[in-house]
Amino acid sequence: MFKNYVLTAWRHMASNPLFSFINIFGLAVGLTSCILILLFVRGELSHDKQLVDADRIVRLHSAYISSDNPPFRTVRAAGRMMEALRDYASEQVAAGVRLLQIGPTVIVGDKVFNETFVFADQSFFEVFDLPFAHGSSESSFNNPLDLLVSEEIAVKYFGRTDVVGELLTVCCMDGQQLEVKITGVLENLPATSHLDIDFLVVMQPSMFDFAPNLLNTWTSVNTYTYFKLKQGFSAADFKERVWYWTDHESPFTQMDMVEGNPTEQIQPNVMAVTDLYLNARRDAGNMGDFKALGDLRMVYAFSGVALLILIVASINFMNLSTARASQRAREVALRKVLGASRRQVALQFLGEAVTITFFALLLALVVVEMTLPLYNEAIDRELVFSLASELPLLALLVCVAIGVGLLSGSYPAVYLSRFLPARILKSNQSGDESGSQRIRAALVVFQFAISIGLGICTAVIYSQTLYARSMDVGYDVSNKLVLHGLSSSEVSNKKQVIVDQLIRIPGVESVVLSSEVPSQDNENNTGFRLLDIQDDGAANDDIILNYYNAGYGFFESYKINIVAGRGFDKAYGSDEVIPVAEGSETAGRANIVINESAARQLGFSSSQQAVGKVLRADVFRAGLQHLTIIGVAEDVYFRSLKFGIRASVFFNHPATLREATITYNTTDLPGLLDQIETTWKAIFPLTPISHEFVADMVNAQYQEEEQQAELFAAFSLLAVIIACLGLYGLASFTAEQRTREIGIRKVLGARVEDIVRLLVWQFSRPVLVANLIAWPTAWYLVSGWLESFEYRIGSSEILMQCVIAGTLSLLIAWITVASRAIKVARANPIEALRYE
Amino acid sequence: MLKLHNLSKVYRTDEVETVALNNVNIEIEAGEFVAIMGPSGCGKSTLLNVIGMLDSPSSGEYIFRDESVGQYSESRLGDIRKRSIGFIFQSFNLIDELSVEENIELALLYHDIPVKERNARVAAVMDKVGIAHRAKHMPSQLSGGQQQRVAVARAVVGKQSLILADEPTGNLDSAHGQEVMSMLQQLNEEGTTIVMVTHSPSHSDYARRIINLLDGHVLTENLRAVG
Repeated sequence: MFKNYVLTAWRHMASNPLFSFINIFGLAVGLTSCILILLFVRGELSHDKQLVDADRIVRLHSAYISSDNPPFRTVRAAGRMMEALRDYASEQVAAGVRLLQIGPTVIVGDKVFNETFVFADQSFFEVFDLPFAHGSSESSFNNPLDLLVSEEIAVKYFGRTDVVGELLTVCCMDGQQLEVKITGVLENLPATSHLDIDFLVVMQPSMFDFAPNLLNTWTSVNTYTYFKLKQGFSAADFKERVWYWTDHESPFTQMDMVEGNPTEQIQPNVMAVTDLYLNARRDAGNMGDFKALGDLRMVYAFSGVALLILIVASINFMNLSTARASQRAREVALRKVLGASRRQVALQFLGEAVTITFFALLLALVVVEMTLPLYNEAIDRELVFSLASELPLLALLVCVAIGVGLLSGSYPAVYLSRFLPARILKSNQSGDESGSQRIRAALVVFQFAISIGLGICTAVIYSQTLYARSMDVGYDVSNKLVLHGLSSSEVSNKKQVIVDQLIRIPGVESVVLSSEVPSQDNENNTGFRLLDIQDDGAANDDIILNYYNAGYGFFESYKINIVAGRGFDKAYGSDEVIPVAEGSETAGRANIVINESAARQLGFSSSQQAVGKVLRADVFRAGLQHLTIIGVAEDVYFRSLKFGIRASVFFNHPATLREATITYNTTDLPGLLDQIETTWKAIFPLTPISHEFVADMVNAQYQEEEQQAELFAAFSLLAVIIACLGLYGLASFTAEQRTREIGIRKVLGARVEDIVRLLVWQFSRPVLVANLIAWPTAWYLVSGWLESFEYRIGSSEILMQCVIAGTLSLLIAWITVASRAIKVARANPIEALRYE
Repeated sequence: MLKLHNLSKVYRTDEVETVALNNVNIEIEAGEFVAIMGPSGCGKSTLLNVIGMLDSPSSGEYIFRDESVGQYSESRLGDIRKRSIGFIFQSFNLIDELSVEENIELALLYHDIPVKERNARVAAVMDKVGIAHRAKHMPSQLSGGQQQRVAVARAVVGKQSLILADEPTGNLDSAHGQEVMSMLQQLNEEGTTIVMVTHSPSHSDYARRIINLLDGHVLTENLRAVG
């Protein structure tokens, strides 16, 4: 019996190549997308699961909330928090560790390499039990400056992994080159680890006494702070303790810039490491994390798309199977006459559907294998797919295939098994009923609604991305090259030297210094108080403002207009911040420029009004200062459109300037770069040059969104292709079924155009109805998505995308159907009418 | 009305060449009632299709109303066809999804005739073939004879002067067959030229001339007085 089933199924497939192709190909494309998305989702969900005791390791994040500013969030914490919380919540905490990233250079012969060193408390291995390739946590990580490297780094510098005892020359600690001995080698961390550690150094807190903002601080957030909790405690338990501490026991309760409960303004968060990759995006807001983070929304969105594509492919199968039922009606009738029960017939068709799905699955596996490298490149991941070693995945895929087979086969099975043999055999009719035609039409509607909806979502994502890119950021990005890392110890003392040399290069228009350049995603926050008495005689409160440092010529170079007062200008004597001696009672004096948002936030009714007013602030590395506002700069999107404009203060504090912006007016870029590099190397032989074009930096901000948009577009396109294949199949079938009618019409004088119009209209209706469903659904979805953007496209733009998607869907449907209909309409009618 | 001169029709497939019509010479005058007879496969239907311009001859000449139409394009042939020729099939070939009325109207839809006139003509022709009381019915609700009457109505509603009938009574019992034949006779008496393929000697008696075909040749042509 089974053999007979297989045989009839096979012959049906072989004798209907078009339908078999559409079925198998459609399902294969659907399954391929599904597997690719599944791999992506699995990869996104697998982050940091490999850590020992991963479920007990948590990280402390910080957030500063104020009523008149966007919140400032970071996944780092202040340096003194770790010890305080570890001791306070000792019943929950087993161990804690702080990580600090430092960027020195490693020198080998005459080559220098920029590297990132992670300095960690000696308790590191109590929290992270990372595997060693050589050495052990007991023997290799005990003394200050004990250095562990990853296998990758060992191979990079020594060509082998067994490098314990080797020396590396590092520049520089306190201006001194150091010889550091490698004490152990760590296995490379997997791509799914949020930690990014090439060099791991035992940190002695006193090493950083020169920079108290790094470790010895409650307010400056620079360390990644982890805890390992004791058995039985969760991140939520610990967070509760942290909040209690913040409100009742912490030094924040004593600080005068904090009013009411500290947690109204300072909101630490505790997150399990296994949640970091997908959930830390919000907390990471400003300064990012060790590595790029994932996005839970994308995981949901792509899972949804995978499901939709599968549904579209399954609908093809259902439609074509029932549409072709007429061809199989006699077979079913005969089987029933010969004694088959309805259940047996239904099982036969279900079996066929599952078999076809398995064919499709095999094809899909091959395609996945072939396209995975391309896909990895497109999504910037390192997904692997090897069925043999992943039985659970294989089992899952088999289940998916059976599920899809059953889903696609269910309706045809129920429908076909219902045929009454007597009627079919006697009347010589197809058994195709108008009811099943209606269901097919409904399925086509559903299919196209999905495709159109995906199309609209894609179009909106694209136009939002384009819109964000086309918005005027307010500053000039053209012809600008940034040199990074002027804070490194070799460079920092000779900043002016390099500036003076660079300006002499032909084609260089200006060289300006700053702590950040526009588009760099960084913020610095501190409290400012307006030294002005309010009407009722009360002193002003501190408000938290962001600050940057900008050297002379910065505003001119970036063409940021000064709307009131003036910018920093040497002609007025010195605008620079001069640090006051430690312990000094008198405040220093300096000039500042603020932006329009800051002027508003400080309560000035106009920019002009702000000029000449004085703010008081504890300035980083300069002590208490009285700051005179000499000018107000126009608001620009200094960071990114994503974050809006933040009220900001600009100091001119030479010690903190670490970026040089070179504005050039030459088209010979290779020549220019060559000269800049030569100049740099002559002055700083120990520090590799690091440069970037501002235009590239701005573009990079949108790279992630663009990548997502492209991926989304690719998968939507697949859904549309599958839906069109189905429509083509259905149109050919209908044309075949209406051959006689078409023949009659032609004999009566209908032209080819009349026939094509007839068929095209038949298939336009479901597509039109699909639009009615797709528009509001897509509208609802994209509106939700757009909410997350500070600046977004309006509803007229969305409507336009709907109209475009709708028109396109109709056009595609017309072309699909017409291509088939023309062929049928051209056929000689007598063929159709000759026989009964 | 029409003249076939040395007309041949050869069907070719990959392996076989079938001669359906071989040097046929036939002339049919306006107002004639001609029956084409012969055994299965002798080329009757092919002849009818060529006359109806649904199929083109392989060689020879086809003159329709003094025009040699052998080389005409398909659309030009379609134009002549819809103005001049009506078809009646053995299997009626009504469209199942359309009512009686709509089936008949179909023949006018491709003629650019205003709605009002269309309705009037459809109503008139339904009266004529006695099917008016079934106007709203679907073909499946009619008997075979009634369905063929609808088909006849559809063939003449466009005021076609030539009716080609391919075994119009083949699917009907004798009573209904007679009914359809007398209708054709009446049409002929009103001036319509009729060419009919049939197997039935009793029905060929309605014709004034019988053309016997065998293996694609015209075997005999009998002119007979109608009694």
